[in-house]
Amino acid sequence: MSTWRSSSFMSWGKSSLARLAPLNSTQFAAAPRRFYAVASGATRFQVFDRRVKWLQKERSASNEEESRQADYLKDEVAIRLTERLLDIKRHFPKVLDLGANSCNVAKALTRENPDPDPDTPLSPSLSDRIGELIATDSSEARLYRDASHDFNKKIAITRQVVDDEETVSFEPESFDLVLSSLSLHWINDLPGVLSQINNILKPDCPFIGAMLGGDTLFELRTSLQLAEQERRGGMSPHVSPLADVRDVGGLLQKAGFKMLTVDVDDIIVDYPDTFALMQDLQAMGESNAILNREMGPIRRDVLLANDAIYRALHGNPDGSIPATFRIIYMIGWREGENQPKPLARGSGETNLKDILEKKE
Amino acid sequence: MNPQTSTRPVQKLSKAVAKCAVEAAAYGKCIMADYNDVYKDKCAREFLRLKDCYLTAVKKA
Repeated sequence: MSTWRSSSFMSWGKSSLARLAPLNSTQFAAAPRRFYAVASGATRFQVFDRRVKWLQKERSASNEEESRQADYLKDEVAIRLTERLLDIKRHFPKVLDLGANSCNVAKALTRENPDPDPDTPLSPSLSDRIGELIATDSSEARLYRDASHDFNKKIAITRQVVDDEETVSFEPESFDLVLSSLSLHWINDLPGVLSQINNILKPDCPFIGAMLGGDTLFELRTSLQLAEQERRGGMSPHVSPLADVRDVGGLLQKAGFKMLTVDVDDIIVDYPDTFALMQDLQAMGESNAILNREMGPIRRDVLLANDAIYRALHGNPDGSIPATFRIIYMIGWREGENQPKPLARGSGETNLKDILEKKE
Repeated sequence: MNPQTSTRPVQKLSKAVAKCAVEAAAYGKCIMADYNDVYKDKCAREFLRLKDCYLTAVKKA
């Protein structure tokens, strides 16, 4: 929840002392000054094991058929994310897809007739307005999984494997649009990554992102907690802590974005049982990667108890079980010269109350 | 079943659990009775019944 917000204040580390100790006095004077609140990017407050996350993504993508079948959520969110581009009537010469997974966003951009409107016959694909798309991800297997598919021919796409999504290593002011779909929820230093995104955008250019947040998988979270509590007398984290909708606006603002839009969308998927749900999460590469999780698989007794509790607590009448995915969409603009700005507080001349009361 | 595709343990689990709906419901009901106060082995009796049913179902499969 608010863990991310606090993260940039947590970098008061031991190593600063270790670094200063061997220096003599003249060098000491030349040592860089350290501030209490260190610039983000140097945080030591880690929630997720990025290496394990990378392994999970690689492994799951190596079973191509299974991971493609579990792409329903990422494909759907990518489509909903790119639909937001319909409102921005612009040409984007250079676009970045940060944390591209298996290029679901590129696939969504090349969809035919993205704006189904009965008045206009056919709307052109969004990819027609995109000059070049650079798709980055840390997992090579996942990024190149669909490289031979047809959609690659309809868009100028360059795939780029990066060491870690937490460092955005591009030239400042080099992109006309940055997209990110279902990848930011595994980032440890969200404020840092957001300000790096702001930095690589050209002035007056948008960032559009989607991430899992808030009540995502609350059913699984609660039932696993109850099952572990009853079977073993304690619990360990199985579902990630996620950013809340309220936090995201503040984070974007802190990163320097203007004209923010944040909205939420719940996608509820029904599964036959909890095992199918967990198998699919694994195939998506979205299994647990919290740092202080209990190592090894969940015990069979807990899984048995969890299935029974999930059904009793959340189950559908028809015997299936629902799983909620709460997706937070965010749009933020890099500050530009002729950008519309909010008027100063108190400068309004029309009383809204008069207008609203006249209407009746 | 196709002998070439090996069954993953989780699929075996899922199949066996499906045969124990009655026992699972009883266990779920016991937890639901007061889920704000759950402690270790609160519903041990119901759980053992569920587990017994599961073990016999696995053996049969």
